[in-house]
Amino acid sequence: MGKRITIDPVTRIEGHLRIDCQVDGGKVTNAWSSGQMWRGIEVILKDRDPRDAWIFTQRFCGV
Amino acid sequence: MEVPKNAQYIRNMIMGAHATHDHIVHFYHLAALDWVDIVSALKADAKKTASLGQSLSPWPRNTYQEIKGVQDKLKALVESGQLGIYGSGYWGHPAMKLAPEVNLLAATHYIQALEYQREINKVVAILGSKTPHIQNVAVGGVANPINPDSQSTLTLERLYYIKTLIEKVGAFVEQVLLVDTAAVGAFYADWTAYGAGVTNYLSAPDMPMDEKGTVFALPGGYIPNGDVTKFQPIKSYQDPFFRDNVKESIKHSWYDGDWDRHPWEGETVPNYSDFKDDGKYSWVKSPTFMGKPAQVGPLANVLCMYAAGHKPTQKYTNQMLATVSSLAGAKVGISALHSTVGRIAARSVRCAVLYDTLKGQWQSLMDNIASGDMTTFNPPTFPAGEQRGYGFHEAPRGILSHWIVIDSGKIKNYQAVVPSTWNAGPRNSSDALGPYEAALIGNPVSNPEKPLEVLRTVHSFDPCLACAIHMVDTEENEIVRVKAV
Repeated sequence: MGKRITIDPVTRIEGHLRIDCQVDGGKVTNAWSSGQMWRGIEVILKDRDPRDAWIFTQRFCGV
Repeated sequence: MEVPKNAQYIRNMIMGAHATHDHIVHFYHLAALDWVDIVSALKADAKKTASLGQSLSPWPRNTYQEIKGVQDKLKALVESGQLGIYGSGYWGHPAMKLAPEVNLLAATHYIQALEYQREINKVVAILGSKTPHIQNVAVGGVANPINPDSQSTLTLERLYYIKTLIEKVGAFVEQVLLVDTAAVGAFYADWTAYGAGVTNYLSAPDMPMDEKGTVFALPGGYIPNGDVTKFQPIKSYQDPFFRDNVKESIKHSWYDGDWDRHPWEGETVPNYSDFKDDGKYSWVKSPTFMGKPAQVGPLANVLCMYAAGHKPTQKYTNQMLATVSSLAGAKVGISALHSTVGRIAARSVRCAVLYDTLKGQWQSLMDNIASGDMTTFNPPTFPAGEQRGYGFHEAPRGILSHWIVIDSGKIKNYQAVVPSTWNAGPRNSSDALGPYEAALIGNPVSNPEKPLEVLRTVHSFDPCLACAIHMVDTEENEIVRVKAV
């Protein structure tokens, strides 16, 4: 009988990551990687001056 | 538009120093404790640890005094019963295989690495005014005036201080980081068989050396199916090979709709539903290159630079493989890099390459200033009507590209396809697994309640789900949930 492992949140990383694994016979047989946060900076940038973009965009590294 | 040479070199030094900082922190403080058992280090003989360290490297701080000091500090911490950040570690896990002396040596370097990551980050702070989130960027250059007659600009005193910092940290990278990651690779050689996953590798050329951005200090490109002989370079910021082959899928992501689109046509309209194994289950989009998932990051970068014939990359890769081979007592070739430990080793190789590059960038800046060129900024002009542009950069975790549509001086659409999007992405529109997912298939899990092996592979990518949003869960929520199905 297999097991489903959910690691949420994964620590020692930056941000919020959830990892799900299906484990059968001591091996991972299926996996899901799920980002658990939304940035939305693209929406904030709309209609702004392109010369200002860099100061917003460096606020999201990841996802 | 052209960016002055001085601005290119200053930007390059910030990128190189930032990535060096990132790679040191990633190995010692984020990944090493998946392989190194800190509690076991208490049982080590400090004298034997010192001789082991001295046999592996000329590093002057592998002394008995320093190692004993770290061991005493660890003992006091464990005896206090308050393990703090080490409290929830999988100590004594059967997959931890290092001898107590190796664990103590690594713990010593963990503490020392805290100093060196701080030193190299000073380079970022000096040139960028602060770190993280530098303040000196400008469209068209940098806001770092250079004037030999003024004390309040970027002076020779500051530049020579930067050189000192680069050299100090370079010694740590060459004599400690490269050796320690080779040791982890050699003592956990079985982990060269796990974690390859997606072996299409994508990497950006970086560190532009001229005003137009056509000559790069570090090459990049694409390798399909792990075959380095099929390497195809990305030649410039205008190269259609990169520009035309990037798409993002949202079939399995919490956004409105189901499409594969080029970033210029992309949308980011959130539409959350619950976690559905066969449906939408992540906020991360799923990028593809030529219709397929691609792995990005130091491994992709090192393989591409190696394939492109970049000499420092070949030197440090061969040096790494030679150290691993001698410690493991068996010949280990470049194919071993397609793995969980390979990703860790490649990150150290890249860090050493960046050290070489940083020295080169510093010299180029000094030579250019000496030639009388003090320019650091060209004011940008925006043509009328709709304009499309993009830029890329080889960030610490891999290729980063930003795509913009400007209309009448305002942003109409902006999409960022960042490294962790490539690696952490969910299944794409063809249901092909993303790199994290694919790398986990076949990983051993000896105890599902303590899935250390899963963390080893996930951490080897250096996940960054959002560097800048710092939130701490103080409620001690459960971290692992296991369900028999």
